[in-house]
Amino acid sequence: MANPRVKKKKNKLGMRRTGFIIAFLAPTLVAFCVFYLYPIITVFITSFCKWDYTNIANPEFFSFEHLWDNYDYIFNKYPFFWEALKNSTVWAILGAAVQVPVAMLIALAFSRKMKGIKFVRNVYIIPNMISTAAMGIIFLQLYNPSYGIINPIIRLFKTDFNDSVLLLQGPAFIAMTFAYIFFTGTTTLMILGNIMAVPEEVREAAMLDGASGLRQDWHITVPMIKGTLRTVSIMAATSGFLLYNEVYFLTKGAAGTYSISYVIRELAITSPRTQFGRANSVAVIQILAGMVIILVINLVYSVSFKKKH
Amino acid sequence: MKKKRHIKSAKSMPAGTRIFTYICLFWALIVALVPLIWLILSSLKEDPLARPGFQLPESIYLNGYISTFRDLHVLRYFGNSMFVAGVSVIISVVMISMSAYVVARMEFKGKTLVSILLYSTMFIPATALTYPVYNLINNLNLYDTRGALILIYSCSGIAISFFVIKNYYDNIPRDLEEAARIDGCGYVRTWVKVIFPIARPGIMTAAVLAFLNNWNEYYWASLVLITREKLTVPSLLSTFTTAFNTNYNGLFSAMVVIILPPILLYCIFSKFFIEALSGGAVKG
Repeated sequence: MANPRVKKKKNKLGMRRTGFIIAFLAPTLVAFCVFYLYPIITVFITSFCKWDYTNIANPEFFSFEHLWDNYDYIFNKYPFFWEALKNSTVWAILGAAVQVPVAMLIALAFSRKMKGIKFVRNVYIIPNMISTAAMGIIFLQLYNPSYGIINPIIRLFKTDFNDSVLLLQGPAFIAMTFAYIFFTGTTTLMILGNIMAVPEEVREAAMLDGASGLRQDWHITVPMIKGTLRTVSIMAATSGFLLYNEVYFLTKGAAGTYSISYVIRELAITSPRTQFGRANSVAVIQILAGMVIILVINLVYSVSFKKKH
Repeated sequence: MKKKRHIKSAKSMPAGTRIFTYICLFWALIVALVPLIWLILSSLKEDPLARPGFQLPESIYLNGYISTFRDLHVLRYFGNSMFVAGVSVIISVVMISMSAYVVARMEFKGKTLVSILLYSTMFIPATALTYPVYNLINNLNLYDTRGALILIYSCSGIAISFFVIKNYYDNIPRDLEEAARIDGCGYVRTWVKVIFPIARPGIMTAAVLAFLNNWNEYYWASLVLITREKLTVPSLLSTFTTAFNTNYNGLFSAMVVIILPPILLYCIFSKFFIEALSGGAVKG
């Protein structure tokens, strides 16, 4: 009813706006579809297909009676799946239960005002600037029985030890864990960032109440940064579950150190008889496990922080 | 005034806390430095087997370093890494700062869905997508090209860049855009001329983090590249243990050279890295 010219102008403006929104969103959405959506759909569907080196070009859907054949193979016949799942789960738990507390303690230390803190902080980040592939190769040398530094240390306790720690069932897993778990530089910085964002007045008020030092941290600082702690726990647990580079560089899966990522890569690419369908079944399990990790950590955090307050 | 408070808070710390802090700092130094010092020390020994561990070298032996540059052509791989990481960072950061702007500032149907989709990528394990992505690269005839890596890096890591940049946009007052709009700027012009320059620190943060990730990325690099001349630095590493065989001095020297650029970059820009990773709350 209003002036038709105004309405027309408004319409034109609305169309421009829609065009702008679409144009600015499109590249990211295309990238999302290419790299995430399409592969995820492929992974889910072909995990129910017979698809291996014999029929590379055309995956073949199992009949409904044989729907779970790939999963059946992975669970019951593939020799490394349970070992890999156990290892990856342990690494995920260690990520949240060891890496994050270590990162938090160091972040708390860095949050204090002392001489030299800045230097130590800057040095502590250095290993995280280097690729995990390079760290893997460095640790491979550290563990070398003839010129590394781990064997001389073990020989202090066990004088006749001449083996490679990476070839022994048990020690190999521990050695692999030690090759990455203490490099928490980025996690520490993210936590430190949040600690510094806690207003000074809050800490000073706590100090007046008699809480200082570690006690103040435990009662005041930690609850205030629980959001960040939860996020970094999820990230640490996820990256522990996904461990690949360390496995590849240190043991190639020998001595009971397979990880889920390593299984996927082996089934899909490196093995001479590639099994794409079965690799994708493991991938589905990995995606589901990622969701379980998020749920569990959210649950743990909401329960434990409710109790405290 | 500020200095006074420093002294005060260091003194008011209980002794237990202070000791504990020192232990943490000592631990941090050990963890970060022991492997690196050992590596550098070993690279200077003519025969690391003869003087293992932390024994000092008899004399400083630099042949390994010379041959790293002369025979291994290490600079070529730095060039590859630089090219791949740089191009993909530019593509992904421009792309994401555009989308993040729309999501941060405009109302439209499906906005929540877009946010959820982009957020979900943080929790989709890239390794689970190994075969479909590998297959896609093959179908696009990109296998064994640097283009394949650029494609992969531009598309991965959406979530982190998206949230870093969107958070920055959220803190920019809306008046600025309104003023620009009143002056007759269109949507695109407003973004290019007004918002992009203001949001540059946030966008740079995302770019630094993405660059570091791409520079260090090994999984995809080792999957899609085979030709030696095209390898990026991390994928070169997997050829090391066989290439050097028993030439340990050469191996250690090459490793030092390979980890040096990120460390040097960090030493020069540590302030920037630290502010980026801590969300701007820690001054470097």
